[in-house]
Amino acid sequence: MATFLQKNALWVVISFIAGFVLLEACRPEDPGPGPNPTPGDLEYIAYDPQTYVIPKPTFFPEIPIPADNPMTKDGVQLGRRLFYDPILSADSTMSCSSCHLPEGSFTDNKKFSIGIDGIAGKRNSMSLLNVAYVTDGFFWDGRAATLEKQALAPVEDPIELHNSWDNVVKKLKLHPTYPQLFRKAFGIKDREEITKELAAKAIAQFERILISSGNSKYDRFVNGDVDAFDEEEIDGKLMFFDEGAPYNLPDAQCFHCHGGVTLTGGKFFNNGLDSVGNLSEFKDLGRFLVTGIEFDKGKFRATTMRNIALTAPYMHDGRFQTLEEVIEQYHDNGFGVVNEGAFLNQIGFPNGNGTYSGLTEYQKKAIVKFLHTLTDTDFINNQDIQNPF
Amino acid sequence: MKKYSLFLTILSLLFVLSCKDKNDGPSTDFSITFSALYGAETLEKNKDYTFNGFPIFVESCRMYLSDIRLINADREVIISDVEYLDFTPENAVSASPTIVFKNVPEGDYTSIRLGYGVSPVLNAKKPSNFPAGSPLAIENDYWAGWKSYIFSVLDGKADPDNNGTKNLSFSYHCGSDAVYKTVEFFTPIKVQAGAFTQAAITFDMKEFLTNDDGTPYDMVNNPATSNDAGNVVVAQALTAHWGRATKVSQ
Ligand code: HEC
Ligand code: HEC
Repeated sequence: MATFLQKNALWVVISFIAGFVLLEACRPEDPGPGPNPTPGDLEYIAYDPQTYVIPKPTFFPEIPIPADNPMTKDGVQLGRRLFYDPILSADSTMSCSSCHLPEGSFTDNKKFSIGIDGIAGKRNSMSLLNVAYVTDGFFWDGRAATLEKQALAPVEDPIELHNSWDNVVKKLKLHPTYPQLFRKAFGIKDREEITKELAAKAIAQFERILISSGNSKYDRFVNGDVDAFDEEEIDGKLMFFDEGAPYNLPDAQCFHCHGGVTLTGGKFFNNGLDSVGNLSEFKDLGRFLVTGIEFDKGKFRATTMRNIALTAPYMHDGRFQTLEEVIEQYHDNGFGVVNEGAFLNQIGFPNGNGTYSGLTEYQKKAIVKFLHTLTDTDFINNQDIQNPF
Repeated sequence: MKKYSLFLTILSLLFVLSCKDKNDGPSTDFSITFSALYGAETLEKNKDYTFNGFPIFVESCRMYLSDIRLINADREVIISDVEYLDFTPENAVSASPTIVFKNVPEGDYTSIRLGYGVSPVLNAKKPSNFPAGSPLAIENDYWAGWKSYIFSVLDGKADPDNNGTKNLSFSYHCGSDAVYKTVEFFTPIKVQAGAFTQAAITFDMKEFLTNDDGTPYDMVNNPATSNDAGNVVVAQALTAHWGRATKVSQ
């Protein structure tokens, strides 16, 4: 065999080159940008989907992935580009990332986000950290059932990207690189098969990788590094989780609504922000707009506490600038409005059923300091989630 | 050698266990519809009911059931290890979930046994041990402070002084192994493909809030379960009422 090869080496090389030339010649010419590409214009690109395993801390629950949108490496890369690409907006000035920036844990740190026409919305941008775990509906009022559905909304929202999907899809089809990326991600045969649904799927795949690093001070503490916290942070944690009774610390009741590993209740509550005479007086009716249930007026989703120090201002309307203001608000135990959450009027009670003791200045500070331990700098600095452009 | 014999033992055990399944005869899907009631009515979120002469309403009502068994003289069949029942989901005022149990051996059963909460073996685990979508993966119903799932939740508001304002919040979150309770209900249940494939179980929250002597539970002085894992007085008092609050029918 060896001698055969040696003898015929030249021929082997020649036939390889010939084969290559032939193959290249047979390959359909890339029609380039054009409105009516040849059917199958992308088929020359290999479609070889590789599963993307989302890195996550071992103590985090399994990440739910919808069966009709499996995670692939090419899907995530496409989604990441789309997320950061102003091609999605009518005037090519804004992208998802304009209102969801990594350094703000994917918020924009503005009271209200401002869309391409300079019009401000009426809600505060939301952190996308661990958004893959949200199960009871996306947005402050839970109106989008899935990330795939959610991703369709901002493009056409007049106070966000104010574009039309028809227009975006047209631009994507004509683009020099996107058609190839859609091929790699979804195996489409030609650029005509690019749809808004596929774009939304890719964006959703990218959003699902926005998972905590598991290296925040808090994570280190709960995983056994007892020195990670000082006394004040420990006290704050005990109150946040209602575990302070043995140490004569009152309950702050926070975990009831901001619980679980992601510290995201995921449920909807009236957390006692406004004193209204009747429920219809809420300026933003919140959850009611989705369910039509009277008692859902003024209810909003309890968001994640992870990276909360990075996502000011706070609440659906960005009314509070600081966490200190947030704690003061909770300390007032709501206004007795009929649909206020069950534990609100027990904040500052020792052990749920004692007499009200309130939170001392030290205790309030300790809770705020605890909230700062939830900051996850490894997450916001993760190279895989940054702007690829 | 030791390892080898362990392997053999496990293998033969597996063999025996799998044989048992095959001898079970015909089986069928069997469904049970679970509902929460207040007295005779289906429980609805935020609807006023009378309790102890004053108005109350419920905001959240949900529970775990585990180790659900159908029993007769010949056998005990575990039809489910654990189920999660949310009677007041986010998008509706009430819900009566129907759960389909797969491959239930046909037969005439004389009783059904329910475990209120999460059985100790499963309760030793935590949500991250379970795949997404599993009833035990629900982070919000686990409390690290107790090292336990929250077995049942009944939250709401009451107006004990009848002055038109519901200024008392009650929140009964029962959990921890000391509070786990099983009850056997001697209601005959027939399982037969095409003929007997369903049953119903109701939980009356009014009974749950009623003591064994018929007096109402002292909600005013005990509006909440304790957050102290060592103090399960309220949780135990209330879970003791489950047997009376539960009705099984076919
Ligand atoms: C103009 C600013 C702006 C732009 C652009 C924008 N968003 Fe948002 N985003 C918001 C605001 C404000 C909310 C909360 C809106 C609400 O609740 O009604 C939000 C909410 C979300 C949520 C819900 C998070 C949760 O936990 O429920 C997701 C996911 C999201 N945006 C993704 C995106 C994606 C993907 C894009 C690009 C296609 C995008 N956003 C573009 C401002 C923006
Ligand atoms: C009854 C349930 C409930 C309790 C108890 C509760 N929260 Fe909240 N929390 C919510 C809801 C709901 C929101 C969103 C409300 C809105 O935007 O209108 C929220 C919002 C927040 C925000 C702002 C989040 C953001 O993304 O802007 C912070 C910070 C916060 N809570 C901290 C706490 C702390 C600390 C405690 C304990 C002292 C606590 N919460 C107790 C339900 C609750």
